[in-house]
Amino acid sequence: MRKVQAIVIGAGPAGLAACIEIAKAGGKAVLIDENAKPGGQLFKQIHKFFGSREHRAGVRGYDIGSQLLKETEELGVEVFLDSPVYGLFQDPQGIMVSYMHEGQEKALLGEKVILATGAAENALTFPGSTLPGVMGAGCAQTMINVNRVLPGKKVIMVGSGNVGLIVSYQLMQAGADVAALIEAAPSIGGYGVHAGKIRRAGVPILVGHTIKRAMGKDQVEAVEIVALDEGFQEIPGTGQVMACDTVCIAVGLTPLTELAWLAGCEFTFIPSLGGHIPIHDENMATTVPGLYVAGDIAGAEEASTAMEEGRLAGIAAAEALGLYDEITAAPLKGSVWTRMDALRTGPFGQKRFDAKAQMLETAKGGKE
Amino acid sequence: MPEIKVKNHRVIKHPILSEDAPCDVSIFVDGKEIPAKAGEPIAAALLASDIHIFRQTAKKGYPRGIFCGIGRCTDCVMTVDGQPNVRTCVTPVRAGMKVETQIGLGRWAE
Amino acid sequence: MEELFICRCEEVTRQELEQAIADGAISMNELKRWTRAGMGLCQGKTCAKQVMALLAQKTAQSPAAVKPATTRNPVRPMQISYMTKEAE
Repeated sequence: MRKVQAIVIGAGPAGLAACIEIAKAGGKAVLIDENAKPGGQLFKQIHKFFGSREHRAGVRGYDIGSQLLKETEELGVEVFLDSPVYGLFQDPQGIMVSYMHEGQEKALLGEKVILATGAAENALTFPGSTLPGVMGAGCAQTMINVNRVLPGKKVIMVGSGNVGLIVSYQLMQAGADVAALIEAAPSIGGYGVHAGKIRRAGVPILVGHTIKRAMGKDQVEAVEIVALDEGFQEIPGTGQVMACDTVCIAVGLTPLTELAWLAGCEFTFIPSLGGHIPIHDENMATTVPGLYVAGDIAGAEEASTAMEEGRLAGIAAAEALGLYDEITAAPLKGSVWTRMDALRTGPFGQKRFDAKAQMLETAKGGKE
Repeated sequence: MPEIKVKNHRVIKHPILSEDAPCDVSIFVDGKEIPAKAGEPIAAALLASDIHIFRQTAKKGYPRGIFCGIGRCTDCVMTVDGQPNVRTCVTPVRAGMKVETQIGLGRWAE
Repeated sequence: MEELFICRCEEVTRQELEQAIADGAISMNELKRWTRAGMGLCQGKTCAKQVMALLAQKTAQSPAAVKPATTRNPVRPMQISYMTKEAE
């Protein structure tokens, strides 16, 4: 079996950044992704990113994606696409990664393996939630921004986090009508800047509301929404029916952790990061020797933090491989941490900062 | 907002993105020919032709369409060129593909 | 359509899951085997979080204590024929 220094699973922002750092250190990294194209979810992000200049704020997601791809290419990172990884096995010489490609089972042995598998959207259950026309907000975003196809003309968005707010605006940019954005909590979840944009475009944002049912024979024709009290219970008599052909669900993300469970990682439970998260230390190392995590698998955040975590895991893996000595690696890792800390500020960032600090404490303690 | 042009559910002109490329191939959905772009997910071509019902469930016979769009939930599976359970949201279009609404667990072509 | 389908693949309703919990299921592995929730084509990737939350709530366990069902390879859908071919 072919053995390489590092295998990175997932070619989104975290995985690409990890490979770039390993290659810069003079290491050999192989990048494996199940999709036909690299970039993860970056190419559907047509909005400008927040943060400071060194986080490439003001640059659109797809441009960041193109830049990362260019760098991986220039550095000669080997990329396997259309290659779903289905198994991880500990081996005396490293970690064996099993994947499929072109109808065949294949395997590689990596001295170090970085999981950058990302996250998936949470589902929501209500009567009619399986009707065609009910879909993840990210699904609609891919359709309009990557495939340039409108999944519907009149949309109800459920959830007012940044995904719900941004995708609502982008649906309008693609020519759809967003009939309403509803949020069960008493206040908007995402950034005020994003909420302001869609409010100015005339979209009603109904906080303290939820979807009671989606109606339609073979596909969505309308929804019933109801107001909720502080205990999230329906207030009788508040039901209203709104016509629509699409319901987008934007109620958070869950890290894609199957491979980490399979590898035997220890987990901790942090709701604000998406639930069960593989325990990882200040080097993004899990409790399994040689196995690292980076990006949304290590707690659902944003593309900008995912890139920084990817860099950190890449530098740490390079150090563990002996490509960097401690004196060289320390300032490199330090500057990543400085940038990450800066990204985890403000009313929303602080929560993630605290959650990650809790994670480091857990990692130090060994177990939950 | 700058000009937006949508034709047959395809976003031709977009305020940020460049002009959309035209369809270059055809696929057949339950025998009916529809236009598509080679390489786009099958599901995108279906939605562009206003097709939203991709299959019927095994137990209740209920309709399903696209849901997660990233190849995880398997709600969008259809029978493609005789092979059932193909995830249309991640399977690229090839010219002349035969796509069929999947009933239940589907059947392999003889 | 009035049913509350939590497991979309196997069309398992919230009511069926609640019944299984009332009948004594206390883990995800048990719920999966009793109801088939999470045993369909997607292998619980869509419903697991909701089933775990329901299980935690109905059994008064902390959500942290409810672990997913045992993860086994292959974790991605594959055809049996792939495994019968010689690995390179």
